[in-house]
Amino acid sequence: MNLERLPNEEKLGLCRKYYLIGFAFLPFLWLVNVVWFFQEAFIKPAYSEQLQIKSYVKRSALGLLVWVTVLTTWITIFQRFRAEWGEVGDYISFTIPLGTP
Amino acid sequence: ASMCKIYVHLNYTFPCVRLLNATHQIGCQSSLSGNVGVLHELESEENLDWVLTSGPNPPYMVILESRLFTRSIMMKLKEGSGRVAGVVVVAPNTNPPEGFSPHTACPNDNSGVYTENYDPTLAHCNATVWNPLGNGLAYEEFDFPIFSVKDDNDTRVIRQCYQDHNRRVNGSNPQFPLCAMQLRSSMSAVTNTATCKRRNDINFSLTPDRVCDELGDFNIWASSRPMNTTTKGHKEFESVVIAAARMDSRSFFFDIAPGAESTASGIVTLLAAAHALRRATQEAPPNRTILYTFFQGETFDYIGSSRMVYDMENNQFPLDLDNIHSVLEVSQVGLHSDSKLWLHSDPVSRKNSSVKEELVNGLKSASAGLNVSVDEPDVSQPLPPSSFQRFLLARPIPGVVIGNYRSSFTNRYYESMYDNAEYLNVSYPENMTSEEQLEHFPETVKTLTEVATLVARALYVQAGGNETQLANITADPQIVNQMLYSFLVRANNSWLQQLVPTDFTNHLGKLLFFLSDRPTNFYVGVIQYFSEPTTLVQYMLANMTGSVVNVTQEDCQKQREDKDDDQSKHLYTYMWVQGAAPPNSTEREGFCVRSTVHRSIAVSPAFELHEYTTSNYSTWTESVWKPITGRIFLVASHDLEMLTLGVGITVLLTSLVLTYVISSKADILFSSGREPTSATY
Repeated sequence: MNLERLPNEEKLGLCRKYYLIGFAFLPFLWLVNVVWFFQEAFIKPAYSEQLQIKSYVKRSALGLLVWVTVLTTWITIFQRFRAEWGEVGDYISFTIPLGTP
Repeated sequence: ASMCKIYVHLNYTFPCVRLLNATHQIGCQSSLSGNVGVLHELESEENLDWVLTSGPNPPYMVILESRLFTRSIMMKLKEGSGRVAGVVVVAPNTNPPEGFSPHTACPNDNSGVYTENYDPTLAHCNATVWNPLGNGLAYEEFDFPIFSVKDDNDTRVIRQCYQDHNRRVNGSNPQFPLCAMQLRSSMSAVTNTATCKRRNDINFSLTPDRVCDELGDFNIWASSRPMNTTTKGHKEFESVVIAAARMDSRSFFFDIAPGAESTASGIVTLLAAAHALRRATQEAPPNRTILYTFFQGETFDYIGSSRMVYDMENNQFPLDLDNIHSVLEVSQVGLHSDSKLWLHSDPVSRKNSSVKEELVNGLKSASAGLNVSVDEPDVSQPLPPSSFQRFLLARPIPGVVIGNYRSSFTNRYYESMYDNAEYLNVSYPENMTSEEQLEHFPETVKTLTEVATLVARALYVQAGGNETQLANITADPQIVNQMLYSFLVRANNSWLQQLVPTDFTNHLGKLLFFLSDRPTNFYVGVIQYFSEPTTLVQYMLANMTGSVVNVTQEDCQKQREDKDDDQSKHLYTYMWVQGAAPPNSTEREGFCVRSTVHRSIAVSPAFELHEYTTSNYSTWTESVWKPITGRIFLVASHDLEMLTLGVGITVLLTSLVLTYVISSKADILFSSGREPTSATY
């Protein structure tokens, strides 16, 4: 979909939809929001809806950052310590490597 | 014309595999696709320096002659793990004269009766070290593969490759390409039995993989007098003398376990004694029943005997521990120079027992007319590792263990791949059929026959038999010869072929067993696979103690004597065996053997109770593995590989750049002087 051809109200509506649905544990929608609307929000010359689009993009970026931090921390801890957790580690694993602890 | 091959596969290799118990993992492991290393033939222990520090092309695959396969060298290799990709041991054609035992110095230390509670001065081999040559290698953990190859064509190829490419010439380092070997023995199980059993049971993954299997098989037992085997638990008025022997052995490598002195000598002696007693126990039966028992899995913390004791305690066996009068166990009895046997007993329970004195006296008097003499060792000395210890753990039963050793094993190759026919001086002339070979009687047969006669007479007296019958009880040297040949040389011989059924397929047509053409492998193995000695002992014991009955094949296989008989199956086992072909025909004439031979399951009680961390029972399991292979090939230097990769990436990037440049300037490069076609009038 080419954003150039859309009227500004529809652009705003799209940005808002992606922002709201991203709360349903869908951080990738926020990533798409940030990347897709970045040019609209910050590069293009100002128009009436741009302020709101800018705020949605900023909030999506914030949410994305939180998700990335949480996931990176959990994945690092899990990969490093799963072997030491013994039974609990096996219980929460989906695939367990063969031959190594 | 010779075929150029990249890989040369190694055919007859024996890997070392991973075994796990409640607390440890032992054995070897390779990476998933196999460990690759540059070959290096180790010349001496000092040469280890090349492998561990100074060699320029790590990791190395070390080739060891058997004289260098020692604990100190292996421990040093184990430390230098980053630079050692694996070890290949070349098995010699003759046994090393100095002896070699990869087992521990104190076998089955924590699973017998001698613990701190029982008597601290006797625990942990404080009184005497049974296996002084034991270096414990088989119970160490290695993170690289260790394979054994026979000294034959394969090894010649390996050595030739090493000579051509890897040898140092005049002090300069060998140049690439170098000869390398890849060994793959990737084990799936890790840590210990509890972990691997837990991972076996995980059932929410897409493809549940088995990671380990428990060791176990069956015990074989037979009674000299039939008794009802369907009713379990204590039997009134039944008093038995257990005549025990173990049926298994092991070595450092998987599926090699010739166990000649440690196992076969005991089995053959007890079977021959059972045969010698057949007539006496039928014509002049003694007061007590003799129970001939062969335990499987004893090497791994007494799997078979602990299970039998457990079954007896839980009324799962046709007898009870209170039915046992005494135990006589035949341990290693292959005699060597001084023809002397030692009668071991337990110093703690001895204090309260006159039965044991009777047993010892019975043995001493039975040896009177024979070429074998018996004696007792020091009064304070404990029992050697033996199945009898598990019975003692449960009850203070009197008993004696017979062995050819006084205070430490005379067997220089205990639980190693060298405990074979050569060690027992059992050899037959080459290039003859099995029938012709069996006409020859090695010296060992005569001595084992004497021991079997001794054991038979002592058992008869211990069971309350009349001493006047003793002169009639003698073992048959021909039977001893045939059995020894079957276990130590090849089971597929004309004598044994007569004693087994025609085919060992189950009802689904799957082949369960076959007589092999090589020395018996006494390794107990996992419960899913039949262990070779169990089946051999089962059919031999049936032949030794049972009798031929005139029953049709159909009735025989349905465990009855005729159509309306439904009582015999409680007392007897019927086996239809293929017999021999009469002189003027090729069809074998089968017959039915009725005996009291039964199998009882030999799986550790730890697996019945699902207690995988217990120290009371054996918890040994064997890892599941991916296909085990080995191959040799030439490798190029790492620098050459990097150069090739670099050139390839450069070509890729250059072509991308070139394509972009050309396509952006396409209208200039490919203008053909035509008029522009767009017309906007």
